[in-house]
Amino acid sequence: MIAPFYKFGYFNDEVSLIVAFVLGLAFGFLFERGGFGSGRMLAAQFYFTDMRVFKVMFTAITTAMIGLFYLSWMGFLDLSLVYFGETYLLPQVVGGLILGIGFVIGGYCPGTSSVAISTGKIDAMVYALGGLFGIFGFGEIFPWIEDFFNSTHMGKINLPEFLGIDYGIVLFVVILMAIAGFTGADWGEKLMAKKKAAQVKES
Amino acid sequence: MFLKKFAELPPRKRIGLVAILLGVIAVFAGDPTSKARTTIDAKEIALLSDKDIAEVNAVDLADWIIKGKYDYRLVDVRKKNKFEKYNIPSSENVPITQLLSSDLLRNEKIILYGESERTASQAWFLLKSAKYKSVSMLKGGVESWKKEVLFPQCTCGVNPSVEQKHNHNKLAEVSKFFGGGMQSGSVEATTTQMKMPTLKAPSKIKLKKAGGKKKREGC
Repeated sequence: MIAPFYKFGYFNDEVSLIVAFVLGLAFGFLFERGGFGSGRMLAAQFYFTDMRVFKVMFTAITTAMIGLFYLSWMGFLDLSLVYFGETYLLPQVVGGLILGIGFVIGGYCPGTSSVAISTGKIDAMVYALGGLFGIFGFGEIFPWIEDFFNSTHMGKINLPEFLGIDYGIVLFVVILMAIAGFTGADWGEKLMAKKKAAQVKES
Repeated sequence: MFLKKFAELPPRKRIGLVAILLGVIAVFAGDPTSKARTTIDAKEIALLSDKDIAEVNAVDLADWIIKGKYDYRLVDVRKKNKFEKYNIPSSENVPITQLLSSDLLRNEKIILYGESERTASQAWFLLKSAKYKSVSMLKGGVESWKKEVLFPQCTCGVNPSVEQKHNHNKLAEVSKFFGGGMQSGSVEATTTQMKMPTLKAPSKIKLKKAGGKKKREGC
Protein backbone atom coordinates (compact mmCIF):
# COMPACT_ATOMS: atom_id res chain seq x y z
CA MET A 1 0.00 0.00 0.00
CA ILE A 2 1.20 3.42 -0.84
CA ALA A 3 -0.35 6.73 0.20
CA PRO A 4 -2.31 8.92 -0.58
CA PHE A 5 -4.85 6.09 -0.20
CA TYR A 6 -7.82 7.83 -1.77
CA LYS A 7 -5.95 8.75 -4.94
CA PHE A 8 -4.81 5.18 -5.37
CA GLY A 9 -8.40 4.05 -5.10
CA TYR A 10 -8.08 2.05 -1.87
CA PHE A 11 -11.44 3.40 -0.81
CA ASN A 12 -14.34 5.00 -2.61
CA ASP A 13 -16.10 8.35 -2.29
CA GLU A 14 -18.50 7.21 0.45
CA VAL A 15 -15.69 5.88 2.64
CA SER A 16 -13.70 9.04 1.94
CA LEU A 17 -16.54 11.05 3.52
CA ILE A 18 -16.37 8.92 6.66
CA VAL A 19 -12.58 9.31 6.76
CA ALA A 20 -12.99 13.07 6.33
CA PHE A 21 -15.53 13.18 9.17
CA VAL A 22 -13.28 11.29 11.57
CA LEU A 23 -10.26 13.41 10.63
CA GLY A 24 -12.37 16.56 11.03
CA LEU A 25 -13.46 15.50 14.51
CA ALA A 26 -9.87 14.84 15.55
CA PHE A 27 -8.69 18.09 13.99
CA GLY A 28 -11.38 20.17 15.69
CA PHE A 29 -10.81 18.50 19.05
CA LEU A 30 -7.05 18.99 18.97
CA PHE A 31 -7.47 22.54 17.71
CA GLU A 32 -9.70 23.37 20.65
CA ARG A 33 -7.40 21.65 23.14
CA GLY A 34 -4.40 23.38 21.59
CA GLY A 35 -5.86 26.70 22.68
CA PHE A 36 -7.17 27.76 19.29
CA GLY A 37 -10.72 28.18 20.54
CA SER A 38 -10.06 31.38 22.45
CA GLY A 39 -9.82 34.73 20.72
CA ARG A 40 -7.75 36.10 23.60
CA MET A 41 -5.23 33.27 23.33
CA LEU A 42 -4.99 33.75 19.56
CA ALA A 43 -4.57 37.50 19.77
CA ALA A 44 -1.93 37.02 22.49
CA GLN A 45 0.43 35.74 19.77
CA PHE A 46 0.64 39.19 18.32
CA TYR A 47 1.49 40.78 21.69
CA PHE A 48 4.09 38.12 22.64
CA THR A 49 2.33 37.48 25.95
CA ASP A 50 1.42 33.82 25.35
CA MET A 51 2.90 32.09 22.32
CA ARG A 52 1.19 28.75 22.83
CA VAL A 53 -0.71 28.84 19.51
CA PHE A 54 2.41 29.75 17.59
CA LYS A 55 4.29 26.86 19.18
CA VAL A 56 1.52 24.35 18.52
CA MET A 57 1.22 25.49 14.91
CA PHE A 58 4.91 25.44 14.14
CA THR A 59 5.33 22.08 15.89
CA ALA A 60 2.55 20.67 13.73
CA ILE A 61 4.10 22.05 10.56
CA THR A 62 7.56 20.71 11.38
CA THR A 63 6.27 17.32 12.49
CA ALA A 64 4.18 16.94 9.34
CA MET A 65 7.10 17.99 7.18
CA ILE A 66 9.51 15.51 8.79
CA GLY A 67 6.88 12.78 8.59
CA LEU A 68 6.08 13.39 4.92
CA PHE A 69 9.77 13.55 4.02
CA TYR A 70 10.65 10.25 5.63
CA LEU A 71 7.46 8.42 4.59
CA SER A 72 8.13 9.45 1.03
CA TRP A 73 11.79 8.56 1.35
CA MET A 74 10.89 5.08 2.55
CA GLY A 75 8.44 4.68 -0.32
CA PHE A 76 5.20 4.67 1.67
CA LEU A 77 3.95 7.88 0.13
CA ASP A 78 3.99 9.47 -3.29
CA LEU A 79 4.60 13.16 -2.59
CA SER A 80 3.78 14.13 -6.17
CA LEU A 81 0.17 13.08 -5.50
CA VAL A 82 -0.23 15.05 -2.29
CA TYR A 83 -2.48 18.00 -2.99
CA PHE A 84 -1.49 21.56 -2.31
CA GLY A 85 -2.85 24.75 -3.81
CA GLU A 86 -1.34 26.55 -6.73
CA THR A 87 0.65 29.72 -6.19
CA TYR A 88 -0.67 33.12 -7.26
CA LEU A 89 2.03 35.22 -5.65
CA LEU A 90 0.70 38.77 -5.55
CA PRO A 91 -2.97 38.00 -4.81
CA GLN A 92 -1.84 35.65 -2.04
CA VAL A 93 0.41 38.31 -0.49
CA VAL A 94 -2.51 40.74 -0.44
CA GLY A 95 -4.88 38.04 0.83
CA GLY A 96 -2.40 37.10 3.55
CA LEU A 97 -2.16 40.71 4.71
CA ILE A 98 -5.94 41.06 4.86
CA LEU A 99 -6.20 37.78 6.79
CA GLY A 100 -3.44 38.84 9.17
CA ILE A 101 -5.09 42.19 9.92
CA GLY A 102 -8.42 40.45 10.42
CA PHE A 103 -6.74 37.92 12.70
CA VAL A 104 -5.31 40.58 15.02
CA ILE A 105 -8.50 42.65 15.09
CA GLY A 106 -11.00 39.81 15.31
CA GLY A 107 -8.92 37.35 17.31
CA TYR A 108 -9.74 34.46 15.00
CA CYS A 109 -9.01 32.95 11.63
CA PRO A 110 -11.78 31.08 9.78
CA GLY A 111 -10.87 27.65 11.20
CA THR A 112 -10.41 28.79 14.77
CA SER A 113 -13.70 30.70 14.72
CA SER A 114 -15.55 27.45 13.89
CA VAL A 115 -13.77 25.74 16.78
CA ALA A 116 -14.66 28.62 19.10
CA ILE A 117 -18.33 28.52 18.01
CA SER A 118 -18.51 24.93 19.27
CA THR A 119 -17.80 26.18 22.79
CA GLY A 120 -20.46 28.87 22.44
CA LYS A 121 -18.24 31.93 22.01
CA ILE A 122 -20.43 34.79 20.80
CA ASP A 123 -17.53 36.82 19.39
CA ALA A 124 -16.62 33.81 17.19
CA MET A 125 -20.20 33.64 15.89
CA VAL A 126 -20.09 37.31 14.96
CA TYR A 127 -16.70 36.75 13.37
CA ALA A 128 -17.99 33.83 11.28
CA LEU A 129 -21.01 35.88 10.20
CA GLY A 130 -18.62 38.63 9.11
CA GLY A 131 -16.64 36.03 7.20
CA LEU A 132 -19.75 34.83 5.37
CA PHE A 133 -20.66 38.40 4.55
CA GLY A 134 -17.11 38.95 3.26
CA ILE A 135 -17.41 35.89 1.02
CA PHE A 136 -20.65 37.26 -0.36
CA GLY A 137 -19.06 40.68 -0.93
CA PHE A 138 -16.06 39.09 -2.60
CA GLY A 139 -18.35 37.20 -4.96
CA GLU A 140 -20.13 40.43 -5.87
CA ILE A 141 -16.98 42.38 -6.70
CA PHE A 142 -15.19 39.40 -8.29
CA PRO A 143 -15.70 40.55 -11.94
CA TRP A 144 -13.71 43.72 -11.14
CA ILE A 145 -10.81 41.95 -9.50
CA GLU A 146 -10.72 38.83 -11.63
CA ASP A 147 -7.59 39.89 -13.54
CA PHE A 148 -5.72 40.54 -10.32
CA PHE A 149 -7.07 37.31 -8.81
CA ASN A 150 -5.51 35.30 -11.63
CA SER A 151 -2.27 37.28 -11.90
CA THR A 152 1.29 36.12 -11.10
CA HIS A 153 0.31 32.50 -11.48
CA MET A 154 3.24 30.18 -10.75
CA GLY A 155 1.46 26.85 -10.89
CA LYS A 156 1.83 24.04 -8.40
CA ILE A 157 5.21 24.78 -6.97
CA ASN A 158 6.84 24.07 -3.62
CA LEU A 159 9.89 25.51 -1.89
CA PRO A 160 12.48 22.95 -3.08
CA GLU A 161 11.33 23.42 -6.69
CA PHE A 162 11.14 27.19 -6.41
CA LEU A 163 14.55 27.58 -4.79
CA GLY A 164 16.10 24.75 -6.79
CA ILE A 165 17.60 23.11 -3.73
CA ASP A 166 17.25 19.66 -2.16
CA TYR A 167 14.16 18.76 -0.22
CA GLY A 168 16.34 17.66 2.68
CA ILE A 169 18.03 21.05 2.94
CA VAL A 170 14.66 22.83 3.02
CA LEU A 171 13.55 20.44 5.76
CA PHE A 172 16.69 21.14 7.79
CA VAL A 173 16.28 24.91 7.39
CA VAL A 174 12.61 24.76 8.44
CA ILE A 175 13.56 22.74 11.55
CA LEU A 176 16.20 25.34 12.45
CA MET A 177 13.62 28.09 11.84
CA ALA A 178 11.18 26.32 14.14
CA ILE A 179 13.72 25.95 16.93
CA ALA A 180 14.81 29.57 16.53
CA GLY A 181 11.12 30.54 16.56
CA PHE A 182 10.44 28.60 19.77
CA THR A 183 13.47 30.10 21.47
CA GLY A 184 12.43 33.58 20.31
CA ALA A 185 8.87 32.97 21.52
CA ASP A 186 10.12 31.89 24.95
CA TRP A 187 12.29 34.97 25.14
CA GLY A 188 9.38 37.21 24.10
CA GLU A 189 7.07 35.65 26.70
CA LYS A 190 9.62 36.21 29.48
CA LEU A 191 10.22 39.78 28.39
CA MET A 192 6.52 40.59 28.32
CA ALA A 193 5.99 38.90 31.70
CA LYS A 194 8.76 41.08 33.19
CA LYS A 195 7.21 44.22 31.74
CA LYS A 196 3.83 43.29 33.09
CA ALA A 197 5.30 42.60 36.54
CA ALA A 198 7.01 46.00 36.48
CA GLN A 199 3.72 47.68 35.51
CA VAL A 200 1.88 45.94 38.33
CA LYS A 201 4.57 47.06 40.81
CA GLU A 202 4.32 50.68 39.62
CA SER A 203 0.60 50.79 40.03
CA MET B 1 27.13 8.66 28.95
CA PHE B 2 25.73 10.68 26.11
CA LEU B 3 22.40 8.89 26.33
CA LYS B 4 22.23 9.52 30.06
CA LYS B 5 22.80 13.23 29.52
CA PHE B 6 20.19 13.18 26.79
CA ALA B 7 17.65 11.50 29.07
CA GLU B 8 18.21 14.17 31.71
CA LEU B 9 17.24 17.00 29.37
CA PRO B 10 13.70 18.42 29.56
CA PRO B 11 11.32 16.80 27.01
CA ARG B 12 11.13 19.79 24.68
CA LYS B 13 14.89 19.96 24.38
CA ARG B 14 14.98 16.25 23.65
CA ILE B 15 12.36 16.64 20.93
CA GLY B 16 14.28 19.59 19.50
CA LEU B 17 17.51 17.57 19.37
CA VAL B 18 15.75 14.65 17.66
CA ALA B 19 14.25 17.07 15.12
CA ILE B 20 17.68 18.55 14.37
CA LEU B 21 19.13 15.06 13.99
CA LEU B 22 16.34 14.10 11.55
CA GLY B 23 16.98 17.34 9.66
CA VAL B 24 20.70 16.60 9.36
CA ILE B 25 19.99 13.08 8.12
CA ALA B 26 17.50 14.53 5.62
CA VAL B 27 20.21 16.72 4.10
CA PHE B 28 22.17 13.62 3.16
CA ALA B 29 19.23 11.31 2.55
CA GLY B 30 18.72 12.38 -1.03
CA ASP B 31 15.58 13.19 -2.96
CA PRO B 32 12.52 11.68 -1.27
CA THR B 33 10.47 11.97 -4.45
CA SER B 34 12.92 9.92 -6.48
CA LYS B 35 11.34 6.72 -7.69
CA ALA B 36 14.65 5.28 -8.84
CA ARG B 37 15.39 3.71 -5.47
CA THR B 38 12.69 1.19 -4.83
CA THR B 39 12.25 -2.14 -3.15
CA ILE B 40 10.81 -4.79 -5.38
CA ASP B 41 8.47 -7.38 -4.06
CA ALA B 42 9.71 -10.03 -6.47
CA LYS B 43 6.93 -12.45 -5.62
CA GLU B 44 4.22 -9.85 -6.17
CA ILE B 45 5.68 -8.82 -9.52
CA ALA B 46 6.02 -12.46 -10.55
CA LEU B 47 2.40 -13.14 -9.63
CA LEU B 48 1.27 -10.02 -11.47
CA SER B 49 3.12 -10.87 -14.64
CA ASP B 50 1.81 -14.40 -14.40
CA LYS B 51 -1.84 -13.46 -14.51
CA ASP B 52 -2.40 -9.81 -14.85
CA ILE B 53 -0.38 -7.95 -17.47
CA ALA B 54 -3.22 -5.89 -18.80
CA GLU B 55 -3.00 -5.67 -22.54
CA VAL B 56 -4.84 -3.36 -24.85
CA ASN B 57 -5.56 -4.52 -28.30
CA ALA B 58 -4.63 -2.18 -31.17
CA VAL B 59 -8.19 -2.12 -32.57
CA ASP B 60 -9.64 -1.18 -29.16
CA LEU B 61 -7.05 1.54 -28.72
CA ALA B 62 -7.90 2.93 -32.16
CA ASP B 63 -11.53 2.93 -31.13
CA TRP B 64 -10.77 4.87 -27.93
CA ILE B 65 -8.71 7.45 -29.79
CA ILE B 66 -11.44 8.00 -32.36
CA LYS B 67 -14.10 8.27 -29.64
CA GLY B 68 -11.92 10.72 -27.73
CA LYS B 69 -11.67 8.57 -24.60
CA TYR B 70 -8.87 10.14 -22.63
CA ASP B 71 -8.86 8.60 -19.18
CA TYR B 72 -5.45 7.14 -19.88
CA ARG B 73 -2.01 8.28 -20.98
CA LEU B 74 -0.59 6.65 -24.03
CA VAL B 75 3.17 6.43 -23.64
CA ASP B 76 5.64 5.67 -26.39
CA VAL B 77 8.74 4.22 -24.74
CA ARG B 78 10.84 4.08 -27.92
CA LYS B 79 13.74 6.39 -28.64
CA LYS B 80 13.03 9.96 -29.69
CA ASN B 81 14.00 9.56 -33.34
CA LYS B 82 11.66 6.61 -33.77
CA PHE B 83 8.87 8.52 -32.05
CA GLU B 84 9.37 11.48 -34.35
CA LYS B 85 9.34 9.24 -37.39
CA TYR B 86 6.00 7.74 -36.48
CA ASN B 87 3.84 7.60 -33.37
CA ILE B 88 0.34 6.64 -32.52
CA PRO B 89 -1.79 9.80 -32.36
CA SER B 90 -2.35 11.19 -28.84
CA SER B 91 0.76 9.46 -27.51
CA GLU B 92 3.63 11.11 -25.70
CA ASN B 93 7.25 10.11 -25.85
CA VAL B 94 8.90 9.00 -22.62
CA PRO B 95 11.99 6.95 -23.47
CA ILE B 96 12.51 4.08 -21.06
CA THR B 97 15.53 5.77 -19.44
CA GLN B 98 13.40 8.76 -18.42
CA LEU B 99 10.38 6.76 -17.36
CA LEU B 100 10.83 7.08 -13.59
CA SER B 101 11.79 10.76 -13.69
CA SER B 102 8.88 11.69 -15.97
CA ASP B 103 5.68 13.43 -14.91
CA LEU B 104 3.67 10.22 -15.08
CA LEU B 105 1.69 9.87 -11.85
CA ARG B 106 1.37 6.64 -9.93
CA ASN B 107 -2.43 6.71 -9.95
CA GLU B 108 -2.81 7.32 -13.67
CA LYS B 109 -3.90 4.73 -16.16
CA ILE B 110 -0.89 4.25 -18.40
CA ILE B 111 -0.76 2.38 -21.69
CA LEU B 112 2.75 1.62 -22.88
CA TYR B 113 3.92 0.74 -26.32
CA GLY B 114 7.21 0.14 -28.06
CA GLU B 115 8.22 -1.25 -31.41
CA SER B 116 7.25 -4.71 -30.25
CA GLU B 117 6.22 -5.95 -26.82
CA ARG B 118 9.80 -6.26 -25.60
CA THR B 119 10.54 -2.64 -24.68
CA ALA B 120 7.02 -2.16 -23.38
CA SER B 121 7.41 -5.19 -21.12
CA GLN B 122 10.60 -3.77 -19.67
CA ALA B 123 8.88 -0.44 -19.10
CA TRP B 124 5.94 -2.28 -17.52
CA PHE B 125 8.32 -4.00 -15.12
CA LEU B 126 10.02 -0.71 -14.22
CA LEU B 127 6.74 1.08 -13.54
CA LYS B 128 5.23 -1.83 -11.64
CA SER B 129 8.29 -2.13 -9.42
CA ALA B 130 8.04 1.62 -8.72
CA LYS B 131 4.47 0.91 -7.55
CA TYR B 132 2.55 2.46 -10.43
CA LYS B 133 -0.98 1.30 -10.08
CA SER B 134 -2.51 0.81 -13.48
CA VAL B 135 -0.07 0.00 -16.26
CA SER B 136 -1.00 -1.82 -19.40
CA MET B 137 0.63 -2.48 -22.75
CA LEU B 138 -0.40 -2.24 -26.32
CA LYS B 139 -0.56 -5.81 -27.52
CA GLY B 140 2.10 -6.34 -30.15
CA GLY B 141 3.35 -2.74 -30.04
CA VAL B 142 3.66 -0.57 -33.14
CA GLU B 143 3.98 -3.69 -35.27
CA SER B 144 0.47 -4.74 -34.31
CA TRP B 145 -0.84 -1.20 -34.72
CA LYS B 146 0.55 -1.27 -38.25
CA LYS B 147 -0.95 -4.63 -39.08
CA GLU B 148 -4.31 -4.28 -37.38
CA VAL B 149 -5.12 -0.60 -37.62
CA LEU B 150 -3.10 1.17 -40.28
CA PHE B 151 -2.92 -1.54 -42.89
CA PRO B 152 -5.40 -4.23 -41.93
CA GLN B 153 -5.73 -7.28 -44.07
CA CYS B 154 -8.94 -7.96 -45.85
CA THR B 155 -10.20 -11.19 -44.35
CA CYS B 156 -13.36 -11.76 -46.29
CA GLY B 157 -13.64 -14.43 -48.90
CA VAL B 158 -15.13 -14.24 -52.38
CA ASN B 159 -18.70 -13.92 -51.21
CA PRO B 160 -18.62 -11.95 -47.98
CA SER B 161 -21.53 -12.00 -45.58
CA VAL B 162 -23.20 -8.77 -44.44
CA GLU B 163 -21.30 -8.92 -41.17
CA GLN B 164 -17.98 -9.42 -42.91
CA LYS B 165 -18.71 -6.51 -45.21
CA HIS B 166 -19.61 -4.34 -42.25
CA ASN B 167 -16.39 -5.28 -40.46
CA HIS B 168 -14.39 -4.64 -43.58
CA ASN B 169 -15.85 -1.18 -44.02
CA LYS B 170 -15.22 -0.36 -40.39
CA LEU B 171 -11.59 -1.45 -40.61
CA ALA B 172 -11.20 0.55 -43.80
CA GLU B 173 -12.62 3.67 -42.17
CA VAL B 174 -10.44 3.28 -39.09
CA SER B 175 -7.27 2.78 -41.12
CA LYS B 176 -8.17 5.79 -43.23
CA PHE B 177 -8.69 7.87 -40.09
CA PHE B 178 -5.14 7.13 -38.98
CA GLY B 179 -3.69 7.70 -42.42
CA GLY B 180 -3.31 4.10 -43.49
CA GLY B 181 -5.31 1.97 -45.85
CA MET B 182 -6.88 -1.42 -46.26
CA GLN B 183 -4.64 -4.12 -47.66
CA SER B 184 -5.51 -7.01 -49.81
CA GLY B 185 -3.44 -10.01 -50.77
CA SER B 186 -0.82 -11.65 -48.64
CA VAL B 187 1.06 -9.84 -45.91
CA GLU B 188 4.42 -10.50 -47.51
CA ALA B 189 3.29 -8.94 -50.75
CA THR B 190 2.02 -5.74 -49.18
CA THR B 191 4.32 -4.87 -46.30
CA THR B 192 7.03 -3.81 -48.69
CA GLN B 193 4.71 -1.31 -50.31
CA MET B 194 3.30 0.14 -47.09
CA LYS B 195 4.48 3.58 -46.26
CA MET B 196 3.95 4.81 -42.73
CA PRO B 197 1.88 7.96 -42.44
CA THR B 198 4.12 10.91 -41.71
CA LEU B 199 3.36 12.76 -38.52
CA LYS B 200 4.90 15.55 -36.59
CA ALA B 201 5.26 15.13 -32.86
CA PRO B 202 3.21 15.73 -30.84
CA SER B 203 0.68 14.33 -33.19
CA LYS B 204 -2.84 15.67 -33.37
CA ILE B 205 -5.78 13.60 -34.21
CA LYS B 206 -7.33 14.63 -37.45
CA LEU B 207 -8.55 12.99 -40.55
CA LYS B 208 -5.75 12.50 -42.97
CA LYS B 209 -5.51 11.42 -46.50
CA ALA B 210 -4.27 7.89 -46.81
CA GLY B 211 -0.51 8.02 -46.67
CA GLY B 212 -0.02 4.48 -47.85
CA LYS B 213 -0.15 3.51 -51.46
CA LYS B 214 -3.72 3.36 -52.61
CA LYS B 215 -4.83 -0.20 -52.68
CA ARG B 216 -7.69 -1.89 -54.33
CA GLU B 217 -10.54 -1.80 -51.89
CA GLY B 218 -13.34 -4.22 -51.35
CA CYS B 219 -13.33 -7.96 -51.18
